[in-house]
Amino acid sequence: MQHHTRISAFAAALMAGALSMTSLVSAQETTITHAQGETTINGVPETVLVQDWAVFDNLSALGVEVDGVPSSNAPSYLADQIPADAIQIGSLFEPDFEGIAAAEADIYLVAGRSRTAYPTASEIVPTVDLSIDNNAIVEGVKTNLTKLGEIFDAEDKAAELISNLDAKVAEVQAAAEDKGNALVLVTNAGNIGVYGPDSRVSWIYNEIGLESAMTEVEDGDHGGDSVSFEYILEMNPDWLFVIDRDAGVGESTGAAAALLDNELVNQTSAAKQDQIVYLDPQAAYITMHGYNGLMLMLDEVLAGLDA
Amino acid sequence: MRLLLLALAATLALAIASLFVGVSDVSIGALLSSSPDDRPIQVLLISRIPRTLSLLLAGSSMAIAGLVMQIIVRNRFVEPGTVGTTESALLGFLIVTMLAPGWPLMAKMLVAAVFALAGTFLFFRVIATVPARDVLLVPLVGIMLSGIIGAVTTFFAYRYGLLPTLLAWEVGDFSGVLRGRYELLWIGLVCAVVAYIAADRFTVASMGEDFTTNLGLNHQQVMTLGLVVVALISAVVLVSVGIIPFLGLVVPNVISLMIGDNMRRTVPWVAVTGAGFVVACDIVGRVIRAPYEIPISVVVGVIGSIVFLYLLLRTRRSAA
Repeated sequence: MQHHTRISAFAAALMAGALSMTSLVSAQETTITHAQGETTINGVPETVLVQDWAVFDNLSALGVEVDGVPSSNAPSYLADQIPADAIQIGSLFEPDFEGIAAAEADIYLVAGRSRTAYPTASEIVPTVDLSIDNNAIVEGVKTNLTKLGEIFDAEDKAAELISNLDAKVAEVQAAAEDKGNALVLVTNAGNIGVYGPDSRVSWIYNEIGLESAMTEVEDGDHGGDSVSFEYILEMNPDWLFVIDRDAGVGESTGAAAALLDNELVNQTSAAKQDQIVYLDPQAAYITMHGYNGLMLMLDEVLAGLDA
Repeated sequence: MRLLLLALAATLALAIASLFVGVSDVSIGALLSSSPDDRPIQVLLISRIPRTLSLLLAGSSMAIAGLVMQIIVRNRFVEPGTVGTTESALLGFLIVTMLAPGWPLMAKMLVAAVFALAGTFLFFRVIATVPARDVLLVPLVGIMLSGIIGAVTTFFAYRYGLLPTLLAWEVGDFSGVLRGRYELLWIGLVCAVVAYIAADRFTVASMGEDFTTNLGLNHQQVMTLGLVVVALISAVVLVSVGIIPFLGLVVPNVISLMIGDNMRRTVPWVAVTGAGFVVACDIVGRVIRAPYEIPISVVVGVIGSIVFLYLLLRTRRSAA
């Protein structure tokens, strides 16, 4: 799969190179190769619809203005970047196709949760699928930044963001050296799941290089594998990274901490050495494929490791 | 009586086995050779004993709630999960979690119980208007009512981004049970004892309002008591461990086939069998994919539906 993305990124780069040479000649037509095919766009798109908050996050990092956004689950760290007059085009999973058609947009971007909308949407409006594979998140974010940079004529900004991201990853990698192993937990209404090297925060293991405290995990779509507190005690990780799904409930940030503050977890070396790091739940759960969200979490991990 | 003692012994054996199943190494040898501060004893006290107790409490009280429900509705095919009681409790729990997240669990449980009570009353009002109290129509009406209440719950959860939370509540799961986090379930035991004491009244009340009044009992009071018992048990189990499906349906039916319908005789049987069944299912859920866990509602659902199908087919065969 990773191989496949590489090839398509390479193809896109070739295509972009070829196009930049012909761009002087005629009205610019850009053809973008993506996960579900090829899409041709005339010039730099002006009216932009986004069905995915991670894509919005990337566009916002690139300085591209967006006209349509999902109607729900907006991460709070992005709140002030969402235009007040943005049209709402349905939830993360269910696009409002009538609204999308009425908007007469130049481009419509889907990813992850909304990728199944592609066949329908691509008949209405030029649509691009920016889905990322969870086992290569950093790579995927960089590819998407490059792609969006080409589409919106912001290659320089994209290159700058990518080098920022690379630098941050390197910094966290350095901080993580010889810091022992880790376990990523997700808490949900009093239950605990573990996230592994294919999950939505797989970069903690794959990119940062913190060794996983567990042997194998099947990463489901939502919660990871369900485990007991005894399991955490036995795995005895040096670090715990926690995604507080409960935070969405309004029980605010305390819920996961309250859940983990018990006689068994408190005996682990992570708890004893105060090495439990709470990740921004929205960045970790909703916009883990976005530049700002990823940078936010990398900073949180860095702050935890350096503390 | 001797059989009941045998069942009790079997459940006890399962409960003891349950103490020694888990991720940590807790064996008799490890317990005997370790000092009181060592990990095996700690794990036993903090995690294993509370988990086993909560299994026994939840299993027996849910099965009894099903039995009480079946007796006062006079229908074999109802249980709190199919007449709207559990769904109503869920709705109440969701609403109180949204509006007053800081309230203690006890208060949230009471709100859930009030909703459960209201939902169950609604069910009674609806089936009172059903002309023929057909043996299949009553549970059908109940299932529809549960569906409607469940839809309202899902709508609010969807609108406020709480669907994963709702899902986590709906799936019964004992993996989070620790010392200090299951004690509400003792309320279920109190309710079960009340049901046992009032067993004869329920049996009488099930004969109908006129019959009950002739025997000098207040029919309305007995019914209300039954509903409160059912609502409280449903709410307590829901907020402590989540929904355990089928239990209230399968266990009382099996017992009724075995020893008949006199509630005074059946209550201990239902309690013991319900507890044993839940303990066994939880052990299966802990062992099958160790060190990870399969939620108990999945195991109970699979085994329960098989048993229930068997019961249905068997009843038809003997009737034919």
